Amino acid sequence: MSSCVLDKETFRHCCQLLLQLSEQLGDCWCWVPVQDSQDGYLRKTALRLVTIDSRPFGDQAESSSELGPHNSCLSGPDVQQNDQDQSALIGSANGDIIRGDIEDQDNKDNRDGDDGEDRICRMCEGSSQVLQYEYHILFSCSYRAPVLYFRVCTLEGRSLSLEEVWGSIHPNFRLCLQTSPFTMVTQQEHPLLGQAFFMLHPCRTEDFMRPLLQAAQDQNRPVNYVLTWLSMVGPVVGLDVSLKYSTQF
Amino acid sequence: MADDKDVLRDVWFGRIPTCFTLNQDEVTEREAEPYYLLLPRVSYLTLVTDKVKKHFLKVMKQEDMEEMWFEYEGTPLKWHYPIGVLFDLHASNTVLPWSITVHFKNFPDRDLLRCPSHSVIEAHFMSSIKEADALKHKSQVVNDMQKKDHKQLWMGLQNDKFDQFWAMNRKLMEYPTEEGGFRYIPFRIYQTMSDRPFIQKLFRPVSPEGNTHTLGSLLKEMYPAAIPNEGQQKRYQVVIHGIEPLLETPLQWLSEHLSHPDNFLHICIVRRLDEPPSPSCLLVFPTVTSAP
Repeated sequence: MSSCVLDKETFRHCCQLLLQLSEQLGDCWCWVPVQDSQDGYLRKTALRLVTIDSRPFGDQAESSSELGPHNSCLSGPDVQQNDQDQSALIGSANGDIIRGDIEDQDNKDNRDGDDGEDRICRMCEGSSQVLQYEYHILFSCSYRAPVLYFRVCTLEGRSLSLEEVWGSIHPNFRLCLQTSPFTMVTQQEHPLLGQAFFMLHPCRTEDFMRPLLQAAQDQNRPVNYVLTWLSMVGPVVGLDVSLKYSTQF
Repeated sequence: MADDKDVLRDVWFGRIPTCFTLNQDEVTEREAEPYYLLLPRVSYLTLVTDKVKKHFLKVMKQEDMEEMWFEYEGTPLKWHYPIGVLFDLHASNTVLPWSITVHFKNFPDRDLLRCPSHSVIEAHFMSSIKEADALKHKSQVVNDMQKKDHKQLWMGLQNDKFDQFWAMNRKLMEYPTEEGGFRYIPFRIYQTMSDRPFIQKLFRPVSPEGNTHTLGSLLKEMYPAAIPNEGQQKRYQVVIHGIEPLLETPLQWLSEHLSHPDNFLHICIVRRLDEPPSPSCLLVFPTVTSAP
């Protein structure tokens, strides 16, 4: 029982290990401390090529079988983006693409007077676009589990809406989204920054981690809770964890 | 619990007189009159302001109205905090009615969560209740409830039905007598002095030695600056539901009676103005008698 939940110290320890591996692998996780406290979070940014499906609850779930495996983020520090300290991962063209029609987002997204901007930001039918993802891993003391927060914007800086984020979720995970979207991904306040982020809900984390941790314990195998957890929840929102994290060390 | 039902009622029926004024940069066809409402402290701004939107719709074109959001003296108001928390945190020293500015343009994406429908509020509300129960009962009570029970909590809040809400909520307030309280107290301490929106940690209602934890002991650990040293002038007010409970009030009692419907005890720390608070708003709550 006690091994299925995480405490703050173990969380930090797992994060440290993950950071070391990340550095060796050229992945770009970093630790962001929070002023005047012991708290902080892991952060990584990535660029992904994504097609937003406007009907995440529609009838396209069955089409997922037609898709190739979810894969192929070209990772590496060689692909730099304008911001110096940000890493860039660009999804290959056939990697993250999700089939489906694209809704005209225009009426929703006309936020301000700069209509020129909005025209450019608009999702146009049948095309995919490069989006900037920012992922944060925080510790939730309530659920005693790590929680994945993220936000997504276009290269022009327009934030994606919840519906668009739902539409960008890989078809393999759509079924769960269809039955109860709000228990999976919602918009939430980042508890350390006070800003609007999306969050993968942690209330079931203990349930799916338990068998994994149990098995590791039975086989006397060390396990990095945060890494194992991330390899399971990350892919839902396009954050793939390289197998090298487990195989090379 | 619930011997103090009057307190629960007083908390539930707390209201804040509010004046909604349209932001002057909005495009209108004629001058917009302000709109007045009594806002329930325990509800959410976006849940009780459909009338405000309708009111301003009369002088605006539909195409000029994007998602409605609220601001007080330059601060965008987070709809996902209970109304009473927003008022205590940002406006507790203001004159009434509380003057809120209404916007339909330039939604501050970074600061505010989107709220396109009531189902978003419901999801947020239920997620808070689940989190609180994870702290109080390891999620056992909320997971044992049926979907219709969850619905009853939400409908109770949405329709301002005290009895409907509490018929279900009392289950979330139960605990084994021998334990003297919940596992952990679901609380959040808010202040406006730093970027961090609130403090939330694990804190038990009873110390390992069996002493009752009070509001004072919580603050001492989480926000010591809020407790004046002896002889020192009080710099902060510790406000819950618009009142300053005595620091000696047992935390477990506060959690059961002064929590919001989302089952969290929301505590605001606000800088004290020079004038002392009027005595009428200082209610007296039961204090700890010496440990048995």
